[in-house]
Amino acid sequence: MTGAWTTFLPLALVLSSLLPGLIIFTLREDQVRLRISLNLLAATLKLCLVGVMLWGVDRGLSFRFAIDFLPGGGLVLQADATSLQFITLSAVLWLATTVYAIGYLENSPLRSRFFGYFSLCVSATMGVALAGNMVTFLLFYELLTLATFPLVVHRGSKKALHAGRVYLAYTMGGGALLLMGVALLHSLIGSPEFQPGGYLGPMLDAHRPSLILAFALMIAGLGVKAALIPLHGWLPQAMVAPAPVSALLHAVAVVKAGAFGIIRVVFDVYGVEQMQALGLATPLLALAAATILYGSLKALQQQELKKRLAYSTISQVSYITLGVALLGPLAAVAALAHLVHQGLMKVTLFYCAGNFAETLGIHRIREMDGVGKRMPVTMTAFTLGALGMIGVPPTAGFITKWYLGIGALDVGQDWVLLVLVASGLLNAAYFMPLIYRGWFSAPPAQWPEERNLGNGKPGLGETHWMLLAPVIFTTVLSLLVGIFANTELSPLAWSQLIIDRQFDP
Amino acid sequence: MSAALLSLLVPLFTALLLLLLRLRAGGLVIAANALSLGLAVMALSTVVSTGTQQLNLGGWDAPLGIRFELGPLTASLLVFTALVHLLVAVYAERSRHSQTRDTDFWPLSCLLHTSLAALWLSRDLFNWYVTLELLGLVAVAMVILSGPKAHAPALRYLLLSLAASLCYLLGVALIYGQYGVLDIRLLADMVTDDRVTRLALLLLTLGLMLKAALWPLHQWLPAAHASAPTAVSALLSALVVKGPLFILWMLWDNLAPVELARQAGVFFAVAGIAALISGGWAALRTPWIKVLVAYSTVAQLGYALLALGLLLHWQDPTLSTALWLFVIAHGLAKVSMFLAAGEMQATLGSRKVSALKGASQTMPIAMFAFAVAGGSLVGLPPSGGFVAKWVLLQPLFSQPSHWPWALGVLLGTLASAAYVFRVVAIAFDRADPNRPDYDPDTSAQWLAMLPALVVWAMALMSEPVIRWFGEAGL
Repeated sequence: MTGAWTTFLPLALVLSSLLPGLIIFTLREDQVRLRISLNLLAATLKLCLVGVMLWGVDRGLSFRFAIDFLPGGGLVLQADATSLQFITLSAVLWLATTVYAIGYLENSPLRSRFFGYFSLCVSATMGVALAGNMVTFLLFYELLTLATFPLVVHRGSKKALHAGRVYLAYTMGGGALLLMGVALLHSLIGSPEFQPGGYLGPMLDAHRPSLILAFALMIAGLGVKAALIPLHGWLPQAMVAPAPVSALLHAVAVVKAGAFGIIRVVFDVYGVEQMQALGLATPLLALAAATILYGSLKALQQQELKKRLAYSTISQVSYITLGVALLGPLAAVAALAHLVHQGLMKVTLFYCAGNFAETLGIHRIREMDGVGKRMPVTMTAFTLGALGMIGVPPTAGFITKWYLGIGALDVGQDWVLLVLVASGLLNAAYFMPLIYRGWFSAPPAQWPEERNLGNGKPGLGETHWMLLAPVIFTTVLSLLVGIFANTELSPLAWSQLIIDRQFDP
Repeated sequence: MSAALLSLLVPLFTALLLLLLRLRAGGLVIAANALSLGLAVMALSTVVSTGTQQLNLGGWDAPLGIRFELGPLTASLLVFTALVHLLVAVYAERSRHSQTRDTDFWPLSCLLHTSLAALWLSRDLFNWYVTLELLGLVAVAMVILSGPKAHAPALRYLLLSLAASLCYLLGVALIYGQYGVLDIRLLADMVTDDRVTRLALLLLTLGLMLKAALWPLHQWLPAAHASAPTAVSALLSALVVKGPLFILWMLWDNLAPVELARQAGVFFAVAGIAALISGGWAALRTPWIKVLVAYSTVAQLGYALLALGLLLHWQDPTLSTALWLFVIAHGLAKVSMFLAAGEMQATLGSRKVSALKGASQTMPIAMFAFAVAGGSLVGLPPSGGFVAKWVLLQPLFSQPSHWPWALGVLLGTLASAAYVFRVVAIAFDRADPNRPDYDPDTSAQWLAMLPALVVWAMALMSEPVIRWFGEAGL
């Protein structure tokens, strides 16, 4: 016992966005200043709490909050290295996305409702990240579904409602499967806390079919949010949501919660040895590889910018699953680092797409001709993000692909290299035309729907400053994590630390 | 006198007072209810500290006297009944749209409370018959409160209820002829597996299933519950159908020969899954808001029936806990859902589901209450419905041969998610919102929300409750 504050810090992390969220619900539409201050205050406070926690974990403190919930499985929030990786990403991107959303939704209706659910969504993500056992994970995973639905249908149009229904159908179905999987596992051994190397070792021989079924159910449930084929259908549809919501879905919360869940199940529930003994890794690996290629191929066919980005997410998130399923230390490092890298790059791309749409009315790819001359800063960010996705050195994307490649060779799965190369080429094929159009095509005489958000001149005034600042912030971050990948502060180094514990307990 | 008996007598005397003085004062009923709730909580705390109590009325022991038994479940159900009645009464008094102000609702609801409390406490077949009859008549009278349009469903309810009572009474007569006692504990020691007992059990079961609207005998429920005034619908769905279910569970758990119970268990469990699916499907298809909520009751009773069936089939007492957690969670969630649905349909001026377009904006609190209560019905954590489903799932997963039943639970979950989110999705349709006819009444909406919050709070105390039910036995 190191004092009460280490007990309550994990809870405070969840509450630091939950309580402001509930207050925001009660605000009137015209209380703009109060709402903005609450939003920013909560996001900053959360970031500070995450900072304290990082400092504490570095000093060897342990943070754990637990109350009774179900027999054999309490409600446990705890911070280990894996969860810190995720909460740091979420907290940083939440601040950026909050600023972005304030600028994006300026003068649009129902903002109190939007920011209320927005905060709930981040609280649920914190819960997912800090969950100390499967029961707690399940609880926050379901809450995340509920909190994101109103955001997906925020526009309230027919198309948005359709997307919302599809989203709910997939995620509620996935949630039900996950519940079944967790309950099955719980009936065998209860829900002990996550531990590196898994806790299922002793029951391997007696309960082989149960363990395989539980794994299949849980991966199916998590695969919905992680957008593994054939469970990815909701993600491209959900593109009708406002751009900050897309950022939330694709980079900060939902897709990541699925991928994070897969990491937890494979490393901290089953453990590498049990995965190998049960022969569960190969199907997962094949599924991830198929998703990577399928997502890239579909992205190539899309004519709408946000749809192309959505299919790109499907492909990119599966790198995390791929790295996990390879079950080797190097690939696992790549998977964990990619959780952060993909988040930073994808959030940048979505901010850029949102900026194009809001400032100039650009939604389709052919409308991007010459946009670099009108919005050079945003286009530069877009280019850097896209290059990162392709995996050009020294971007963050290169680091993960490199580690994935050597990780695959390390465990003798050489064919994965082919997948990586093919996917890299496909990435280039669907991102390069955008970059080319943006910089080298002639701009049209009239943009589709130009709005007066900045001063109208290229440069720092090319659009609203609240839309531009987050773009610059995340672009710089995604460059830094790539360039400084070998220093101690990088996500890569942190992932290395997590994986060392996993493979050498 | 014990607190449990007082908790029963307070609503009885309130009802008599109201009838004698020709008063229809909601405030008095609310005050009496608060008192009854307090007494029920006291009774519960005595049971927690000292265990099950026998109350022999008039000092006579069974079989001569009437024996009441106050165990963990009965005490919990007394609290549950008083709490639900209190929540509904406050809404009925406060809301403009409850259709119950200054009506006979007040004495009738007190009588309903009394008869249910007596039912939970009784352990005697004939006593149960009396409470059942009283319960059925009061329920029919309450349905009629909403005027001539409810006459047809109420009449059908009355006729079926009487037929069911006759069935039950015949069963009781057969048992009495065979064994000469009606006390359930005495019977449990004497009962043999013969033809008369089997026939009696069949008749008792038929009557009780009809009264509890258990699939496939549920046809009367949607029309009756949907046409009643909102506050009455809430009481009917949350409380009335649970009474016969309690007797059914008591009978089969205590009286039925093991071999027969194992066979009948399969039937109950299959009927439960059929209820989940067909009730869910009907709720998904109906164009009316309150009919949707009523069909959801049919579906949710399927969980209770499934738990009962598997309890009998595997002779696994942990499933009793699942059954009663379902009943309590469903009761609270359903109160919230009916009150929210009634408040919305009255304010928006249409009984159709499609009238809820844009309700997330025009009536956010009521809609949120509907969604939160629906979340518990679906079984989303951390709600009471989730805890119940969790306890149900544990034995279902313990052996691979049990797994097919889990598929039934999965289908039920998906069905309930479909009809709950059907409504929620319509409420978010902002393109063409339906303007309210009246100013939405914020405090009435909050009263609809309250039971939903209670059902989610149930999850906080789930571990001690599950342990206590498991250790003390029900």
